[in-house]
Amino acid sequence: MESIRLDQVCLWRRTQEEFSYDLKKTVLSIFEGKYRQPAKKLVLDNIDLVVEKGEKIGIIGSNGAGKSTLLKVISGILQPTTGTVRVRGKIAPLIELGAGFDSEISVIDNILLYGVLLGFSRAEMKERSDSILDFAELEDYRFIPVKGLSSGMVARLGFAIATDIQPDILILDEVLSVGDESFRNKCQKRLDQFWDSHVTILVVSHSMDFIRNSCDQAIWLSKGHLKLAGGSQEVVKSYLDSVT
Amino acid sequence: MSLSLSNKYISADVQHYLELLQVLVSRNLKVRYRGSFLGIYWSLLNPLIMTSLYTAIFGATFAKYYDDSIPNYILAALTGLIVINFFSAATSQALSSVVGNGALLNKIRLPVSVFPVSMITANVFQFVMGAYPLLAIVALIKSQSLVNVVAILLPFIALVLFCVGVGFFVSSLYVFFRDLPYFYELVVFMLWISSPVFYPAAIVPNSVKPFLSINPLSPIIESLRQITLSGNLPDLMMIANALLSGMIFAILGWAYFHKSRSQFMDLL
Repeated sequence: MESIRLDQVCLWRRTQEEFSYDLKKTVLSIFEGKYRQPAKKLVLDNIDLVVEKGEKIGIIGSNGAGKSTLLKVISGILQPTTGTVRVRGKIAPLIELGAGFDSEISVIDNILLYGVLLGFSRAEMKERSDSILDFAELEDYRFIPVKGLSSGMVARLGFAIATDIQPDILILDEVLSVGDESFRNKCQKRLDQFWDSHVTILVVSHSMDFIRNSCDQAIWLSKGHLKLAGGSQEVVKSYLDSVT
Repeated sequence: MSLSLSNKYISADVQHYLELLQVLVSRNLKVRYRGSFLGIYWSLLNPLIMTSLYTAIFGATFAKYYDDSIPNYILAALTGLIVINFFSAATSQALSSVVGNGALLNKIRLPVSVFPVSMITANVFQFVMGAYPLLAIVALIKSQSLVNVVAILLPFIALVLFCVGVGFFVSSLYVFFRDLPYFYELVVFMLWISSPVFYPAAIVPNSVKPFLSINPLSPIIESLRQITLSGNLPDLMMIANALLSGMIFAILGWAYFHKSRSQFMDLL
């Protein structure tokens, strides 16, 4: 069964240099007749991609090739300019953990907040809060504001919330290194569980060994193009050949 | 079959939206009042202090426009200040809400409109807990009628609609123009000085009056004063007037927000 399908997806975005961000300047430039439409750049160029359910796909390519952008399009954060994106199932993004936390409110409130932001219901999150606190080893910190936690603890909490639920599609931007050695092992175990299950996984990484060992398929992006897609061994090999 | 399926999805979306709103509003209020002794009643302190200041300075001079009664002046100033305060707090907080959550919007797919709406909702909650009981008591004493107590909510709904519209508009404009807060401060001040809050409308020269009447907050303040202070039954015409302009602003603000929404993500 198909889990993700991208048909001729193109994405144009405003380029960073063109950010005007300034009402005064914009109004002045309109009066001076110098106003021009902001320039746009093609970030994703005609991407066709079909991912079957349960596939583990590695995305590789140099910096700025559009890897994270592609993940954002799949997650629905960015709308493609042309083309269609179809996704079946619930997506859990694991991009930079802890982005949704508010440091002023307590750990338990943050679990509810973050869970609802990720698309789960409050009731569901209340039920899960014990197992989340248990996994993150933060039972004693339930009512402490998050700003009282160390950064390692915050990352642990983020990981515990995002992986407590079994998503249909898991999105990993760069492989996680969370917390101390013992917690890292725990994370690895949980991720391995995902890896062995029927969860579809998309992962962006610069570690070629990781892609080769953990993904069956890989795609290689270059300047917004889908340069090569196929078995991870051969894609990684030709990517490495092209770089060196 | 397919219809019922899509219905289920729509209601799930609505439910998620409401839950988002709930967690964001409670986050908002918790952060604002954590460890503060007066809690939510801080929001009342500002209009009360302002009212006493105005009364001390202008009370004696302006009392003759209010049936020679300083208490009448106090109440008129208070109702006006409550409205202006609500407007300025709710819309200024809404202004930065989309940009302030830009990092989050880049990581998780969320309905963007929930952020300005949550800011306004938090202020609605404050109003219902703080200012509304106060206004209700005044209305009850003046009119001896529960109708007026309930009717206060109608111009308030008009105020909320107006704030939602303005909040949508400024929060999306702020994505494109990061120097907006400076201009917006000026706009708020203009609305504030041009609505007869601490001065009687009668002292304004006739040539300037038409400009004051285009202020969308004026019908709301007038209607609220009529209901709370006059002692008469609510004037439906004034309420309808306020509600209508509130609705127009809400629709315009939403339309602009909706139109520019697709460009947000490139700039956040």
